[in-house]
Amino acid sequence: MRKGRKAAGILTAGLLAFALAACGSGGSKSGGAGDHSAAKESSGKKVTIELAISKSSQDSAFIQQDLLDEFEKQTNIKVNLQLIPAEQTTTVLQTKLAVEEAPDIIQYNLASATTDLNLERNFEILDDEPWASRLLNKDVLSAYGHIYSFHVSQDTGMQGVVYNKDIFEELGLSIPNNYEEFLAVCEKIKESGTTPVFMPYKDNWAINIWPAAAFADFVSKTDPTFFDELNNNKRKWSDIPEFQTFLQQQYDIYKMGYTNTDVLSDSYDMAVGKFLNKEVAMMFMGDWLIEGVAQQDPNMRLGVFPIPAIDNPSLGASPLGGQLFIPKTAKHIEEAKKFLDFMASKEIAQQIVDSKGYVSNFSDVTTPALPEYKQEIVDLYITPKRTVLTTDAYMLVDRNELYRMLQDQFAGGMTPEELLKAWDEKFNQLMTDKQVPGF
Amino acid sequence: MKTTKQLYSYYLVLPALLIYSVFFVIPAFAGFYYSFTDWRMDRLTLEFIGWNNFRTIFSDKTLILALKNTLIFAVVTVLGKNLVGIALAVALNMKLRTRNLLRAIFYSPSILSILVIGIIFTPILRTEGTLNHVFDTLGLHSLSQAWLTNPNIVVFTIAMISIWQHAGFQMAIYLAGLQSISNEYYEAATIDGAGSWKKFTNITLPLLLPAININVMLTLIGGLKVFSEVFVLTGGGPGNASQVVGTIILRAFGEGNWGLGTAINTLLFVAVTITAIPLLIFMRRKEVAE
Repeated sequence: MRKGRKAAGILTAGLLAFALAACGSGGSKSGGAGDHSAAKESSGKKVTIELAISKSSQDSAFIQQDLLDEFEKQTNIKVNLQLIPAEQTTTVLQTKLAVEEAPDIIQYNLASATTDLNLERNFEILDDEPWASRLLNKDVLSAYGHIYSFHVSQDTGMQGVVYNKDIFEELGLSIPNNYEEFLAVCEKIKESGTTPVFMPYKDNWAINIWPAAAFADFVSKTDPTFFDELNNNKRKWSDIPEFQTFLQQQYDIYKMGYTNTDVLSDSYDMAVGKFLNKEVAMMFMGDWLIEGVAQQDPNMRLGVFPIPAIDNPSLGASPLGGQLFIPKTAKHIEEAKKFLDFMASKEIAQQIVDSKGYVSNFSDVTTPALPEYKQEIVDLYITPKRTVLTTDAYMLVDRNELYRMLQDQFAGGMTPEELLKAWDEKFNQLMTDKQVPGF
Repeated sequence: MKTTKQLYSYYLVLPALLIYSVFFVIPAFAGFYYSFTDWRMDRLTLEFIGWNNFRTIFSDKTLILALKNTLIFAVVTVLGKNLVGIALAVALNMKLRTRNLLRAIFYSPSILSILVIGIIFTPILRTEGTLNHVFDTLGLHSLSQAWLTNPNIVVFTIAMISIWQHAGFQMAIYLAGLQSISNEYYEAATIDGAGSWKKFTNITLPLLLPAININVMLTLIGGLKVFSEVFVLTGGGPGNASQVVGTIILRAFGEGNWGLGTAINTLLFVAVTITAIPLLIFMRRKEVAE
């Protein structure tokens, strides 16, 4: 008995110690700062520059080890990679920039950098770099009239309805040109026993693909000054009644039973598997999904067509992502610029463009033969100018709250009308916080 | 005797005090200060803006919902973890052959990582998930729910998972408390003719009060500070339906609104302090000496 009591005492003490330790750890706010292996800075010696990149971008062409080795051999500059966990990338970079411990190079998306990282304050303007004169499309690297970022590609991702061509051919379906035709296509696919549309809306950003393309497509054709006026506080999201229609359309597709049943439980990472198993025929997504499926099974024939919210829709184009940036507070700005020069050199850029199947952004670098779906996008949409930049390109604020509201719509908590009103309020608050003129 | 008392000077606490100040006191006070400023990611200067952040908190529907959810979560988990914990402790203090095995089983969820629990429970709680299948098989269709995607019940679902995980931990503390109660009381009560319920309410509960106190405190503070359970299972969704103070702080920081984020944090700190300290004093008074 006494032995048992002693044991109990020790157990209690141990548990309390554990509990206290657990309490203590709750308060820490570590920014996940990487170790700064400060390079010896005497001239002629080896310099180490830091390149920060999200773990989810590890397939980036700019951090392939053979290129980094080649760069080090030519310039005696070593590139140290800081891999940041994907969900913390924004916060970590914001913190590093705020405390002026910025890495020398950052890979990030230009559009998000303007909303999340305060481009003008934090990053070098690259207008006068030697490679700038060879660019074919400066817009995909520019904001506020200046080049702020670097990339060898000008291939903006496309967003629309990703679909399985084999299923469409088997059922004799053609690409729908408006909402009614789309519903008819859904009905035919459903009758054949396949789920027409996969909605992985546990990941709330995925709900925005339909509205982001539909909104932008509609106003670009009927009300081209809308986004300028919206960003000057002269117009509101709820001013356009059709926006309600577009939100209702997406919800109706779910309500009519054309989707997976558990839309708020299914997540994006299930999408590739659903397509590979031919469980689903379509999904509102970017063309990066097609690449993801092709990596698993090169025989899958997928394509993408425009979000059919209006008649004769245009294909949504998302802003280019994965650019390189040089922070103003970087310790080795000259070396970082040399890194960009190296990547921009004709041989290296050609090597990257070839291996990744990019549409080249340099006049002296040739675009390789494109995969079928990409060539189709070029022929059917880019060349005839049937593309439209999605709302992502015009929204200057953090969009997460919009995504949550869209999710709320699917949970039955909001009508499209209430949603647009609520987003007006939040949008106004976010713009006011950013001190945008007019708000 | 006197010399032994003076052997260690109070100066010896200085190193500990210094570490405590640098890593807790100073950041806490800096947090108080920043919560009255418009500190933002995209601004170089920060201005003192008085109570504005707190006004924002109490005028934002989502933030009020988050406060409400946090309270619901705290109350439900304090009750659940402690009731289940006491029940388990009393049951597993009896002379059962499988006692040690059962103790280990009930304790084991609390050593799992919350990430693992999130991964395990998400498929179980899907609308077409295991739990609803079980209900359907038993003919209890009416009990089937969209556990994690119905805005009205999602907070309770998360609270239940938290109870499942931590009740075993509370049980361990209660077991230690139970074992410190001398058997003589029970023997005397038996002679006086007391039944087992009488024994429980008149001997076990009063003498268990120290353990109850520490458990209620731990679960209450844990409940008010809830973050990981919600973050892993729903991320505050669907929409904002299961946002709690912890996830709202993350959202505010994510939007670059650092002043507002620290203000909510300050509010949480104050709320935990003003509920925990009076409760502690109140319960201390109720404790009886063995």
